[in-house]
Amino acid sequence: MSTAEFILFWLFAALTCGGAIAVCVSQNVVRMAFSLVLTLGSTAVLFLLLGADFVGATQLLVYVGGTLVLIVFGVMLTATGPFTRIKSSAADGILSGLIGVVFLFIVASTVTSVDWDGGEGVAHKIAFGTHGKAVESGFNPTQQGNTTRQLGLSFLSLRPDRDLNLGAQPASSKVPNTAPVVPGAPATGMPGVTSPSEPKLSTGYLLPFEIVSVHLLVVLVGAAYLARTKRRTKS
Amino acid sequence: MQAIGPNPFLFIGAVLFVCGVVCMTTKRNGIGVLMGVELVLNGANLNFITFSRFTPLGLDGQVFSLFVIVLAAAEAAVALAIALNFYNNHLTIDVDRGDDLHG
Amino acid sequence: MDSLGNTLANLLTIAWLLPLFGFVVQILFALKWWGRKSKTGAYLAIFCIGAGFVCSSTAFYKWDTQAGHLVFKEAKPAATAEVAAPESEPTAEASDEHHHKKSSGKQTVFSGTFYQLAQFGDLKISLDYYIDSLTLAMFVMVTLIATCIHIFATGYMSEELVEDYVDHQVHTHDGGHFHRPGRFYRFFSYLSLFCFAMLGLVIAGNIFQVFIFWELVGICSYLLIGFYIERHSASTAANKAFIVNRVGDFGFIIGLMILWTSFGTFNFADQHAADHSVKPGLFSMVTRDDHGEFAKTSGGKDVVLTTQQDGHGAWQAPPESSPRKTIAYTLLIVAGLGVFGGCVGKSAQFPLQTWLPDAMEGPTPVSALVHSATMVAAGVYLAGRFYPMFTPEVLLTIAYVGCITAFVAATIAIVATDIKKVLAYSTISQLGYMMLGLGVGGWAAGLFHLITHAFFKSLMFLCSGSVIAGCHHEQEMPKMGGLLRKMPITALTMLVGVIAIAGLAIPGVYLKFWWYIPYLSINSDHGYVLSFSGFHSKDAILATALGYTKLNPLHFLLFLIPLLTAGITSFYMFRLWFYTFLGKPRDQHLHDHVHESPWVMTAPLLVLAFFAAFCALGGEHGNLFQTLSHSEPSHVEHGFDGSQSHTVSLPDSHSLHVKPAEGGASTHDVAGRSALLAAFIGMVISYLIYAKRVVNPDDIKRQAASVHAFLANKWGFDDLYDVMFVKPAHVVAKFAAAIDKFVFDEILHTFVRMGIAVSKWDRKFDEGVIDGIVNLMGNSTHSLALSLRNVQTGKIRQYVTFIAVSVVTLFVLLFALYPKG
Repeated sequence: MSTAEFILFWLFAALTCGGAIAVCVSQNVVRMAFSLVLTLGSTAVLFLLLGADFVGATQLLVYVGGTLVLIVFGVMLTATGPFTRIKSSAADGILSGLIGVVFLFIVASTVTSVDWDGGEGVAHKIAFGTHGKAVESGFNPTQQGNTTRQLGLSFLSLRPDRDLNLGAQPASSKVPNTAPVVPGAPATGMPGVTSPSEPKLSTGYLLPFEIVSVHLLVVLVGAAYLARTKRRTKS
Repeated sequence: MQAIGPNPFLFIGAVLFVCGVVCMTTKRNGIGVLMGVELVLNGANLNFITFSRFTPLGLDGQVFSLFVIVLAAAEAAVALAIALNFYNNHLTIDVDRGDDLHG
Repeated sequence: MDSLGNTLANLLTIAWLLPLFGFVVQILFALKWWGRKSKTGAYLAIFCIGAGFVCSSTAFYKWDTQAGHLVFKEAKPAATAEVAAPESEPTAEASDEHHHKKSSGKQTVFSGTFYQLAQFGDLKISLDYYIDSLTLAMFVMVTLIATCIHIFATGYMSEELVEDYVDHQVHTHDGGHFHRPGRFYRFFSYLSLFCFAMLGLVIAGNIFQVFIFWELVGICSYLLIGFYIERHSASTAANKAFIVNRVGDFGFIIGLMILWTSFGTFNFADQHAADHSVKPGLFSMVTRDDHGEFAKTSGGKDVVLTTQQDGHGAWQAPPESSPRKTIAYTLLIVAGLGVFGGCVGKSAQFPLQTWLPDAMEGPTPVSALVHSATMVAAGVYLAGRFYPMFTPEVLLTIAYVGCITAFVAATIAIVATDIKKVLAYSTISQLGYMMLGLGVGGWAAGLFHLITHAFFKSLMFLCSGSVIAGCHHEQEMPKMGGLLRKMPITALTMLVGVIAIAGLAIPGVYLKFWWYIPYLSINSDHGYVLSFSGFHSKDAILATALGYTKLNPLHFLLFLIPLLTAGITSFYMFRLWFYTFLGKPRDQHLHDHVHESPWVMTAPLLVLAFFAAFCALGGEHGNLFQTLSHSEPSHVEHGFDGSQSHTVSLPDSHSLHVKPAEGGASTHDVAGRSALLAAFIGMVISYLIYAKRVVNPDDIKRQAASVHAFLANKWGFDDLYDVMFVKPAHVVAKFAAAIDKFVFDEILHTFVRMGIAVSKWDRKFDEGVIDGIVNLMGNSTHSLALSLRNVQTGKIRQYVTFIAVSVVTLFVLLFALYPKG
């Protein structure tokens, strides 16, 4: 964990939170859109910091490049005049803010009350490998390389990250209790559990992938149908 | 220098989520509501990625987040189409005007 | 003889049932087939009754040629009454089970059963026939008169041949006249029904059958009197006739009950069972000995019924040792009085005479047929038919009732001004004569008068009908006058009737011409008068009455009053004729519009006038009287000496004609001459007052105002009955109504009020509790929905807020309830 990383994290964490708050606070749609761009972009950077390079890239491409453009078009198409404001009442804001704060407090307290290291700081070690040789069951880009190929394989129902984790096998035997037992998924990934003679393959995401593809197509058609210009008969 | 654990990321995710909810409740502009939804989804995404990194969830978390992004895009497209229709019918984008189904 | 009985029964049955057929066809189909404007129904009725007349005449002819040998024999003017009368053949008893010819004395009777209706123990209720010369004479008379009247009525009732008949005597509330459909066909169907009932009454072979048809003619009378039912007077008169008749019929029913209990049979004639045993009929059970005495028990209180036949077939009382049927003598009197009570009602005798004048509200042909010639004569007919059952005491009652009736009605007729009312009172008076004749022992005389009266009274009623039709329904004689020239046929035929009823005659004139016509041939070489029918019959009655008073001087009024009445009759009948047809027109406007009636109305008048004039030709030696006397009960002919049994004596019908040895006129001649004198006096007075106007009748009226008022008030009978019966009935009715209203109604009302109270309480319970629960549920649901409705604002942002708040709340609750998981 380099210092740069540290700085980058805090910088973009601040940007993310600030953008999100700005979206909430701003009364101008365009400004909100701009703040949203900031927030989403910063989130993408946070993804990258977490080692999810393909997801971060997708976030930038799809969200910032696609969805937000879409939203800006929506703003443009629905704006009755330049810089239109539809003001919400202050009472609404105060009430919502109050609820938000309470919500945030609850979530934050919940998050902080969880001991992610399982009492032995495991998560921490897994995450950044500060205690010598890293023993991980989470995804470690430093060991696995970039995620693009693995994600693509998982969409083809191949899980080399679990089933072909050759390098991790001997290492894992050294640390007997590595991670909290997650039913199903760890069974294959757990070293020593799986017999080499009869490897059990993890499931991939081919079917969901196909479904999402068709889903996108349907949504495309549906959106086009919904948004097609219909002159209102009243006018 | 202390390594950054999952808590800060989760906190940021919570902030995004809460901001999204607040955005949905306060914005009378339909597009603003849409943005709030995007914020909520992003908060959730950030959680997925965080757990993907720090728990045995592994690559699955990233796969889920990818699905979420795709669905968010689809949702945005449909929601925008709906918003446009709403605008066509009410000549405004104010969601408070869309109370035709009030009791 | 058996074949003769069958033939007679068949012919008379056809004559009897044809009108029924006509009635059924008319009442069911006339309107559908021919409509209101068609006379076809009337023609059918005429055909039925006309065919009945032909059948009856044929039967009469058959009977006479084969059994009677009285009328249709070779015209021999020199035959004497003594020779002619008892000529029935002493043949053997009929062996046929259906027919029985009784040859005791002069009688020839055929009887049998049509159909047995029911049997109660020994008592059989059946439809029988009983045919003797009286039946046949009645059949011919009824069918002939009915045919004439039917034909007359086709003309008289032709106003009814419309779809919309306007009754000028009925006023509606708005002052207009009453409109209704014409009822021509209905009139004739009623007439047919009446003919059927009347003929059934005549042919009936038992007293119960008589009663059935008695009531049937009663209902026909009711229907016909009330033919113009919309007129208040007509409906009231119909009710009055029916109710008054009920009084008489009550007596009739009492008589029937006594007969049933004591005699066990209703049959007049003997009945032959299949095993050749003979069951005695009513007449056979009360035979008299040669002195006219009933067979009585040793105590003399009870009459022994003669239920055993001796070797010659004559009925006699069983010996004292064997079981005998007896009837208390008093009970026999009561039975006779009861049956006579029915006759009093039907024949309008004192004291039930009040309904007949009111019955003139019916159409005039009805008055002619029903209320003068036939139905009212049915009472006389029954009295004659039932004659063997009457004890001398009953006969005395009959005589007095008839006498009083004759006198009272005649006096009222003097002051009556309505032409039909005069004739109605005259009818009552003449019916009284008939009853008197029967009562004093002149069986044949009374029924003789019945036949002759039927002809001349129906003639006069039809004449009055012709006058009324000609005068456009004006019935008041004071408005007529001088109609002789306007309606000559009516006037002259009426004159025939008037002479007939008045009993005028020209003594000592022979009419040899008539001898060559078979029916009218005369069996007498006696001093014989030129006269119309009424003279002879009235003569016969008065002669019998005189003979009666000679035997029973105590009852001298029974001759004097009828004699006086004969004079009064002559007076008021000529008054009617003079009033109507002579003198100057008193209502010029009416007079100008008078016209003679068409031939359908005058032709029957001529036919009836012929019979009214000549049916009784020959008097008591004539064919009609001899035919009737052929059926005379055996004990009547020789009279009855009641001096030993402290009852009245009856005269011997033959002795009336015998001139006393010491010289002078016979009883018959004395009576005839006095009656003729009385009639002439009456006519002359009438002529002087009403034709010559020697004295102004109005002056007389003023002089004797109280008498006139008394007579015009009909001797106050109506008022008397009003006070005696109607008013008390009203009082009782009011009392009953009050009981009903204040007691029964109150009880009912109490129940009803209780019911209402319960219902009200029930309603409150329903509305308050049951409905309250249901409404509460509904209302609460509704209000809940109303309040929840406000939550559904339709605002998305609010929903999101709710979700957020809910999540927060959930978390808070979760942490609060499970603090450390």
